[in-house]
Amino acid sequence: MVKKKVPDWLNSALWSSSSTTTSSFSYSDTNRFDHHSSTSVSPPIDPPLPPAATRDEQQHPTRHHHNYHPRKPDIKEDKYSKSSIVNDNISNNNSNNSISNNKIHNRKADNTESSAEDISNQALLLTELSRKVINMGELRRIASQGIPDGAGIRSTVWKLLLGYLPPDRSLWSSELAKKRSQYKRFKEELLMNPSEITRRLEKTMGFDNDDAKSESRCVLSRSKITHGEHPLSLGKSSIWNKFFQDSEIIEQIDRDVKRTHPDMHFFSGDSSFAKSNQEALRNILIVFAKLNPGIRYVQGMNEILAPLFYVFKNDPDEEMEACAEADTFFCFVELLSGFRDLFCQQLDNSVVGIRSTIARLSHLLKEHDEELWRHLEVTTKVNPQFYSFRWITLLLTQEFNFTDSIHIWDTLLSDPEGPQDGILLEQWYQVPPFGYKPRLQYWTTMILKTINIEEETLLRVCCAMLILVRRRLLAGDFTSILKLLQNYPPTNISHLLYVANKLRGQPSH
Amino acid sequence: MVLVLALGDLHIPHRAPDLPAKFKSMLVPGKIQHVICTGNLSIKEVHDYLKTLCPDLHITRGEYDEDTRYPETKTLTIGQFKLGLCHGHQLLVLFWFDAIKVVPWGDLDLLAMLQRQLDVDILVTGHTHQFTAYKHEGGVVINPGSATGAYSNITYDANPSFVLMDIDGLCVVVYVYELIDGEVKVDKIDFKKTTATTHSAH
Repeated sequence: MVKKKVPDWLNSALWSSSSTTTSSFSYSDTNRFDHHSSTSVSPPIDPPLPPAATRDEQQHPTRHHHNYHPRKPDIKEDKYSKSSIVNDNISNNNSNNSISNNKIHNRKADNTESSAEDISNQALLLTELSRKVINMGELRRIASQGIPDGAGIRSTVWKLLLGYLPPDRSLWSSELAKKRSQYKRFKEELLMNPSEITRRLEKTMGFDNDDAKSESRCVLSRSKITHGEHPLSLGKSSIWNKFFQDSEIIEQIDRDVKRTHPDMHFFSGDSSFAKSNQEALRNILIVFAKLNPGIRYVQGMNEILAPLFYVFKNDPDEEMEACAEADTFFCFVELLSGFRDLFCQQLDNSVVGIRSTIARLSHLLKEHDEELWRHLEVTTKVNPQFYSFRWITLLLTQEFNFTDSIHIWDTLLSDPEGPQDGILLEQWYQVPPFGYKPRLQYWTTMILKTINIEEETLLRVCCAMLILVRRRLLAGDFTSILKLLQNYPPTNISHLLYVANKLRGQPSH
Repeated sequence: MVLVLALGDLHIPHRAPDLPAKFKSMLVPGKIQHVICTGNLSIKEVHDYLKTLCPDLHITRGEYDEDTRYPETKTLTIGQFKLGLCHGHQLLVLFWFDAIKVVPWGDLDLLAMLQRQLDVDILVTGHTHQFTAYKHEGGVVINPGSATGAYSNITYDANPSFVLMDIDGLCVVVYVYELIDGEVKVDKIDFKKTTATTHSAH
């Protein structure tokens, strides 16, 4: 049996530190990702904000810089590590001078290249966005190369990618108005406490409870309760009972919202700004939980919600910013529906649940890097669940700093293959000629691919994360491997996404 | 939306062994914010049980309470309402000589005086073991009855009852829970306050 070797492109000079600046490394395929590295090499500040707000954030660059990952106290992001390509060779490389030289040179090169790229990308996006009817395929293609940080472009593009805004621009204002009033109604209905609900019910039923009696002394008359509703009711359909059952979830939501990104002014702290943002997150999660009794609230949803709300709330357009809560709600629903099956416990063991997704990641790794796969799963017995569970269910928000997560999401949301045409026609004809098992595997893969294209992109990025640190993994044992993967080191995001993109399609040997 | 449980005259263990089971199944911790008790628990175990329902517990002294340190009267402010609590056995001392002549409004007169004296919107008293709710001059007097249906000198055949008040802004909905023929019956009374209270520190 021929042992699958590591594909050639993985062995290229790309991964050795000394070659980061030489022209031998061709950026031809990866020009489109360059502007990512420009963000990562710039001086450490909070994720980019519209100019007015940035000043405040820039006052405390060091504070935010070092605290992006409250869960990873061991890893300090020093000024240069963001620009370095994480690879195993750096640890072996002895010449520190060459590294720092390379990095500085890298930064300069990146800056000039990326600013040009930035502008052209921005121009392309703006052109596409200004069309009367936006070509979604084209938008996806441009967006997957990265979305520039300014001018509220990302906010608009994400809304389009998630299907909140229709491609036809003329429909935008009516759609937005409809959705926003719908959210307002949801809030009114679902965030009312039972006292208010009871009073409203009685008003509509015509009970007039105002004591019009002019007598100053009288026995107060007792009236019947409506629908058997009273605060101590244990009835399943009782609004009071539901209220008390929901209060547990609401408490959980409250706790998690307060813990979201404690290092960011936007989400945490005593300012009324942070408090109103927290309240918005809280409302969205409560409304979602009440509308989706099958899932309710699962810990971690707050982490997925945070980047969405952040991006929309920082839209320089006043109207968009004011209605950020409503817009975020619908986009959150959309985003979760793509990954909903990962949150449903009953589906954990099913074909579409989290276990199956993790198995697909494992399969993907085996396809592209069997040596690493074997080392992880067979030799060191590192069950992929131990590290990839959080990667997948939280859409990588916990593994990278906030800015980087947002850039990864640009790619996750704008997979150029798109949900409709994800499978090439030819693939349907590639049924294995004989053998029950390969055919079953083939059809399972095809069906899964039809259902969940966005998950595929996510899995490709996860696989790329593993491959990028392969040398350290191959040299490690159970403990060191887990330690590394559960505290994933800072990475150059553009390279990560480049590798992930390369994993599309069958491995070539 | 604040839920306040008002109950009293349990007389455990002397006149009743325990709360009715159907009441106990409904009274679970986590729903009620305040408990006010008119008195005559009579033992510490009842006090502890009520404490598990809700940590904010207020009790006034009944004549059979073992713990003599409970106050005679108590006032507290919940939301827009001032509540007063008193067992009420003290008032009957004045009645002793009029016992044969039943003067219901006289009873109310005394309670009204007490209400004015305590300066409260809702006065909660006990002792008669019978649920009553009166309105007078902008105030409300509520007697939650006996939570165990224990006998009293005045009433021999009392249904177990208690009261749960839902205070929401200027409105209070008084839910009356009674055990009649083994079944829990719930009624309610709506009451709205006309003016807001000016909160005074107390």
